[in-house]
Amino acid sequence: MTEVRKPVEDLLTDYDIFEPEFVKDPYPSFSEIRESQCPIARTERYDGSWLPTRYEDVVAIAQEYETFTSRGILVVPPFPGQGEGAYGGVTAPPITSDPPDHHWHRRLILPVFSPQSVAKFEQGTRDLCNKLIDEVIDKGTADAAADYAQHIPVRVIATLLGVPLEMESDFTAWVRAALENILDAEGRKWARKNIIEFFLAQVADRKLNPREDDFITELMNTEVEGKVVPIEYVLGVCNLMLVAGVDTTWSAIGSCMWHMAQHPEHRKQLRDNPDLWPTAIEELLRMYAPVTMARIVDHDIEFQGCPMKAGDRVLMAFPAANRDPRQFENPDEVILDREHNRHVAFGSGIHRCAGSNLARLEVRVALQTWLERIPEFELVDKTDVTWAGGQVHGPRKCLVSF
Amino acid sequence: MCAIAAPEVFGSDEMGNATVLISGDIPAELQAKTRRAESNCPERAIVITD
Repeated sequence: MTEVRKPVEDLLTDYDIFEPEFVKDPYPSFSEIRESQCPIARTERYDGSWLPTRYEDVVAIAQEYETFTSRGILVVPPFPGQGEGAYGGVTAPPITSDPPDHHWHRRLILPVFSPQSVAKFEQGTRDLCNKLIDEVIDKGTADAAADYAQHIPVRVIATLLGVPLEMESDFTAWVRAALENILDAEGRKWARKNIIEFFLAQVADRKLNPREDDFITELMNTEVEGKVVPIEYVLGVCNLMLVAGVDTTWSAIGSCMWHMAQHPEHRKQLRDNPDLWPTAIEELLRMYAPVTMARIVDHDIEFQGCPMKAGDRVLMAFPAANRDPRQFENPDEVILDREHNRHVAFGSGIHRCAGSNLARLEVRVALQTWLERIPEFELVDKTDVTWAGGQVHGPRKCLVSF
Repeated sequence: MCAIAAPEVFGSDEMGNATVLISGDIPAELQAKTRRAESNCPERAIVITD
């Protein structure tokens, strides 16, 4: 799909989050906006949106859910007809939910992501990472994104959901079309149809053959206020878990691998101080936060001098907030033992990422396992890395040699 | 996150919400970890009183 893109003349009034340089490295643009007189930029592109870049503003927006609602959370508008037809009622609870329903939508999925629950995935994830490394270790070169990062979250979430691991490449294709190639409306429609029909079949199968100790079975049978939850809720949660659990996490793993390939001193620091891992993961998440979430303004409001109208889209640029010098000293430097790191890679407030513990585990295990087996590696060509952008930022091709 | 930063001090319930495991004063050797957990809590849910 080709398109003539009008060049951006003024970031503050006409930013374009899909402009290739921005996609490759949004941080200089974030900085320019953040330090200007107008730290909340505006654009009319893609039906218009606002882009706050200061930590304080992004967090305030995340906290004020009555003004900044979750009826739309994607960085671009829905494709035509998305809310209609047979699957029109399927959203992605709890990410698309507002209070009061948000409360029970979120409550029902929290237990599967508690620290105790996700700990069960440690060994399996480690085994998977080792297997992926086995396939490349003798070749002296690999694509840290396509050969490694991209295979990990999809298999972990498939295990959590109890769906066939053999369908990995289908899931990957659907997630890519749903989230990464978000400007392609036909692709989004195709992905949505496939995802919903797939989970409808999974639900139907479990009705005939209920499974023990199975996330989808349990979800189907959960009651809220004495009634079994609606099927749209089950489908919506599965939809969310698949899409949210995959693209985000592999982007984080990929970015961390890209970083580690260029910083032997950090690899050494972790080898010499393994106790540093938890703090190091948080710092890498701060620096390379993959996700931007949107909100829809509920009513006309002046926010930090910006005249926002009901229905306006606001992009909570968590990656921008994480580099705000007002909040973080030396924000553009990875300091693996950073003490004060109240980052918002997982957001903030009632919608803070429910899967964060699982994400942390996957990122840590992916990095630990690689660094154990392949302690020295470097980028083949720094200029030949391709990036995905828009909702989620991360490398899609990242060749390393060892 | 606090449970990772200071596992002797913070646990979590089945919802993943933090719980405090120590009653009374935090022992000296756990204070640095506890302060780090506090300064990194994204919800500012931890309050330390000296």
